[in-house]
Amino acid sequence: MNVLGSFRPGGSPLHRLPAWAKVLLLAVWAIVAVIFSDPVTSAGMALAAIMLLISVLPAWKPTLKGMAFIVVVAALAGVYQVYRGDYSSAIDIAADLIGLFALSLAVTSSTPMGDMLDLATAGARPFRRIVPPAIPGLMFSIMLRAIPEVATIMRQSREAARARGVNRSIRALMIPTATRTVGFALDLGAALHARGIGDEAAPDAPAVPRSRSTRRSRTSR
Amino acid sequence: MIEFRSACVVAPDTGVPILQPTTLTLEEQRVSIIGANGSGKSTLARLINGLALPVEGQVLVDGLDTRKHGSRVRRRVGFLFTDPSSQLIMPTAIEDVMLSLRRTIHSKSERLTAALEALDDIGLQGKANVSVNALSGGQRQLLALAGVLSTTPSVVVADEPTTLLDLRWKAHVGALLHALPVQLIEVTHDLESAARAQRTLVVDDGAVVFDGNPVDAVAHYRELMYRKSVGERA
Repeated sequence: MNVLGSFRPGGSPLHRLPAWAKVLLLAVWAIVAVIFSDPVTSAGMALAAIMLLISVLPAWKPTLKGMAFIVVVAALAGVYQVYRGDYSSAIDIAADLIGLFALSLAVTSSTPMGDMLDLATAGARPFRRIVPPAIPGLMFSIMLRAIPEVATIMRQSREAARARGVNRSIRALMIPTATRTVGFALDLGAALHARGIGDEAAPDAPAVPRSRSTRRSRTSR
Repeated sequence: MIEFRSACVVAPDTGVPILQPTTLTLEEQRVSIIGANGSGKSTLARLINGLALPVEGQVLVDGLDTRKHGSRVRRRVGFLFTDPSSQLIMPTAIEDVMLSLRRTIHSKSERLTAALEALDDIGLQGKANVSVNALSGGQRQLLALAGVLSTTPSVVVADEPTTLLDLRWKAHVGALLHALPVQLIEVTHDLESAARAQRTLVVDDGAVVFDGNPVDAVAHYRELMYRKSVGERA
């Protein structure tokens, strides 16, 4: 499921709520869902979460795909409880899973990445002596940005292996994927430096330590 | 003004020279750099904003040493990469431009307005909330350029900015670059674009082998490549 770009602009109540309130809602929701284990509360909360998800008008295809996935997981968890003869737990657990997943989708669909980043930055402020406040948020968004990129690299590596008649070799898939992922990371690092992002962490430091800079130029000249 | 003072780069593990000691002063508003793959032209470009550092010698931008004042140099020198995918850091178009503006504009609403304007200016209106992965190659390069320009650099170094683009986008991005009110240093394989500059450097085997008029530079480069291909066959 694609967590990237799942944000859809809109005017729903959830869209208007600040990011911190949504994250708090998600946390409280999770705690309540765990504490109350009666099936009626759980089912009710799941229903409410799904309605909230619908209210933000998310991108339908990825949302339905994601929901289908969690329904399967919830069904498996439920079936296990039924097998143990605990019908009430079956409904409770399945509904909790579905509810929380729906709510988190609703939150990501209604919150721009930048807002989440600001929240992460603000949250990291108490630790600014250890980590510059802009860094954790940036790391988080780079991680999100890298997921589809690595997926693309992996698909291309698979195609390249297939084109050369190596269909089932894990090595032929994983080695190029790993090396090219490192290459992507180096490029991304160069781009961060070029745009002066993260400079607050070490003002006026050279872009790269001497040895790495030259190695980098050799590979890219 | 960009100055190279006997700047040279060698590969750290093998000691193979990547760029021979080079001394240059680039004052022209439009400079193009051409040369074969692996000739060292990207390294020359990367030296300008401190992405690569000279092993010996210095590179100065407006009198600032790239080694001592890396981040101040990079505030003046925007860098456009060949592959916009690795240049774009944030998941959506607007967020990526806003990231560039973080340092200069602290108010979030002002930052949003400025980023929307930057997208309009570059011709990406309506793409603000589109995922970077859903943009076409040309649109991504435009977005990368918007991110670079929103920090208002006085120099833009473009490392083969149109190599991955189709003819239509190549013309579009090329025209945009050449219309910018900044000093443009363009590394390119597009000889037509190279010829639009005021001054052209030809790089071969880690050295600047021609420096001057673009038309003569292109002729020199063609001759050089022709001689090499004939030499290999013999």
